[in-house]
Amino acid sequence: MTRRGWVVLAAALLAYPWAVAGSDGAAFLQDMGALVLLAAIGASAWNILGGYAGQISVGHAMFFGAGAYVPLLVYQHWQAPPLLGVPLGVAASLGIALIVGHPTFRLAGHYFSMATIAVAELVRIMVGNWDFLGAAIGLQGPATGRGWYDLTFRSAVPYYYIFLAVLALLLAVTAQMQRSRLGYYLHAIGAGERAARSLGVPVRRYKLYALLLSAGFTSLAGSLYALKTGFVDPDSGLGILVSVQMIITAALGGAGTLLGPLLGAAILVPLQTATNTWFGGGGSGLTYVIYGGVIVLIARFEPGGLLELWHRRAAARLARRGRVRHAA
Amino acid sequence: MLLSAEKVAKHFGSFRAVAGADVAVAAGEIVGLIGPNGAGKSTFFNCIAGDVAPTSGRILFDGVDVTGAPAETRARLGIGRTFQVPTTFEDMTILDNVMVGAFLRHPRRGEARDRALEVIEMTGLKEQAGQRARSLGTPGRKRLEIARVLAARPRLMLLDEALAGLTPSEVRRAIELVRAIHAQGITLVIVEHIMEVILTLAERVLVFNQGHVIASGTPRQVVDDPAVIEAYLGRGHGRPRRARTP
Amino acid sequence: MILLQVIVDGLLLGAVYALFSSGLTLIWGMMNFINFAHGEFVMLGMYVALLAVTWIGGGPVVFGLAAALGLFLLGVVIYFALIRAVMRGPMLAQILSTFGLALLLRYAAFWVFSPNFVTLPRSVLSGTLRLDGILLSVPRLAAGLAAAALTLGMHLLLTRTALGSRLLAVAEDRDAATLMGIRPDRMQAFAWGLAAASAGIAGALMAISFPFSPAVGETFALTAFVVVTLGGFGSVPGAMLAGLLVGLIQGLSAYWLGPVYKDVVVYGLFVALLWLRPQGLLGAA
Repeated sequence: MTRRGWVVLAAALLAYPWAVAGSDGAAFLQDMGALVLLAAIGASAWNILGGYAGQISVGHAMFFGAGAYVPLLVYQHWQAPPLLGVPLGVAASLGIALIVGHPTFRLAGHYFSMATIAVAELVRIMVGNWDFLGAAIGLQGPATGRGWYDLTFRSAVPYYYIFLAVLALLLAVTAQMQRSRLGYYLHAIGAGERAARSLGVPVRRYKLYALLLSAGFTSLAGSLYALKTGFVDPDSGLGILVSVQMIITAALGGAGTLLGPLLGAAILVPLQTATNTWFGGGGSGLTYVIYGGVIVLIARFEPGGLLELWHRRAAARLARRGRVRHAA
Repeated sequence: MLLSAEKVAKHFGSFRAVAGADVAVAAGEIVGLIGPNGAGKSTFFNCIAGDVAPTSGRILFDGVDVTGAPAETRARLGIGRTFQVPTTFEDMTILDNVMVGAFLRHPRRGEARDRALEVIEMTGLKEQAGQRARSLGTPGRKRLEIARVLAARPRLMLLDEALAGLTPSEVRRAIELVRAIHAQGITLVIVEHIMEVILTLAERVLVFNQGHVIASGTPRQVVDDPAVIEAYLGRGHGRPRRARTP
Repeated sequence: MILLQVIVDGLLLGAVYALFSSGLTLIWGMMNFINFAHGEFVMLGMYVALLAVTWIGGGPVVFGLAAALGLFLLGVVIYFALIRAVMRGPMLAQILSTFGLALLLRYAAFWVFSPNFVTLPRSVLSGTLRLDGILLSVPRLAAGLAAAALTLGMHLLLTRTALGSRLLAVAEDRDAATLMGIRPDRMQAFAWGLAAASAGIAGALMAISFPFSPAVGETFALTAFVVVTLGGFGSVPGAMLAGLLVGLIQGLSAYWLGPVYKDVVVYGLFVALLWLRPQGLLGAA
């Protein structure tokens, strides 16, 4: 993207809550904006491992869950501000990543995906039966803030800007990575491990770097979710659908691209909100029918996601124009 | 000796793909590896490059025992290789493909890019540098593989049928490229079916058959060796293929 | 005596696991492809059984056949509409395709059948046999025995018939099979049909004695993964033994530790297995 494109995007994101403030559904639209950013953070975090390095994890819910649980845990048991739990959640996620990374990275392709599902489900069932972690009921945050440090706001706008700051950080890190040796090596690993090895890429070590980076930011997404909703239970924090949401958001926009996850989130979150509104409580089922359909269609027709589609069309247009000019 | 493989064997179940091969390559040589299909040349390459672990035997590179070392460590030590079936990174541009190789010795992006451009120029891929690898045909892919390895500054390059499937004029260009690589002081081991290429390039030829090295010597000596003719005739191939004059 | 009961029940359920897992392992062996929607095939088999009982009536043979036929067709359609194309695509597409399919089928079932648990009418097959102090539920006994027979049948089909050797030829070397006049596409479509049918019948067999809802597929998918990993990828006899073993382990851990832990133990075992022997317990080193 051009420098001007970035400025426009940044300005649009910064102005959004303020731009919709005058409308009838201001609170609703601001809330949805925050949810879009949150989904974009989760998907961008997954994207580092799943998109760039091509390791399709279906177990990222365990990192999201660690990030969501720890802040509420420190509040519930020790009345500490949830914010304090955020770095602890990240630390827990990195610990889990180190433990899980070792055995699963020996596995390739489908096998890796399958293993990550199993580990995440194992974690979900165990947490769901562990009273210290709230078992099936889950954990609650402070109902009303005791001070700014509890980060409980009635309006979605402060959350929006916090999420935007984290997303900006994540995208900056990803952009930096993309340009560096790490990014090139991850891309090479995703494209072909054997060839990457033959060029001196230490594949397991770089996969682990990607997993750690990915897990850390996924954990942050979980923490932000918990801070905003003030509540987490095994399904909302650790369920397989949490992982699915990250994957589909990234894949729809374009896995392995910088802005694909944001694009995916900007499409899927409003779509989900719309189906929930139109079809009432039962709509959540329909949402996932649509999700499933979208995933199948991407896989079948455009595995590169919408950005790839757009690039291809742009390239074709350019080629056409070139031909016309030659003909003239 | 830059490379010495001592009694290297690789068995797949009861099948002996490589059955105790002794191969020594001195720095600065161009060695040709020939033999009928299934003679064990590619498996031998894979043992040297670290793609498969040999069942027994020892591999020394520049005096260092690398028998148990993974492929990436050997690449770092200076063993580069191309694949029989090209394994270019399809969705990446040609420049980015080559940069992956260049990053091995140049961790900084700018330097890696300079090195990659230098190699791209040398291998004649400059025109296509910004295109994705998937847009290349077979000759382009083979060149790209060579470029990628070259960018990593190897001391020994293993070329696995890097010239197969090329037209005579492409073969001629490829031979020039291999000579240019050799002129940079890189030692080469070449697996090739086209005898003319071996006769033109190699100073020394090793003949593989059924996992054994059955003959070695100058290209002319080897071609007239009765054991070699037998190996080819036994499989119904006639004399070593002289197809496609370069 | 209770322990013996637990063991027998575990083995009977394990035989059904073996049946649907052998479908998953067949696809893996042929195409190096894991079908993440396999559990949903089992779930759909249950609902096909329910619909057949409601609309046609008749006993287990009728709805078992209905489930087999219905799922066979679904498997073939999915192969031609989706799998054939994504097999040529990148890894991401391969994994996403059946994953999306799983979501689609699961939540479409929510939509159509509601998320509530349902059961087949008890009149379909019921009763208990008392044998040496163990109570054998007739539906479970019938399901276990039928599943064992069908898994064995599948093994024989693959190893003893011309059709089976054509399937294995495609699995071994697609190009060589094509040269021999076998059409790999048809064989792979048939394998998908067979795999889905095995899941469908297994679902129908379990529907006789267990209540079910659209959400049950996820557990079955994971169970099948564990069985396939344990038995070695691509091996039907391996899946058979591993299925029995997993059924047994589930039964025993539910008995000793409590019902919620039955899956924890199995998944934990799976993770431990990945750590120690990624090639499978019964697979070659």
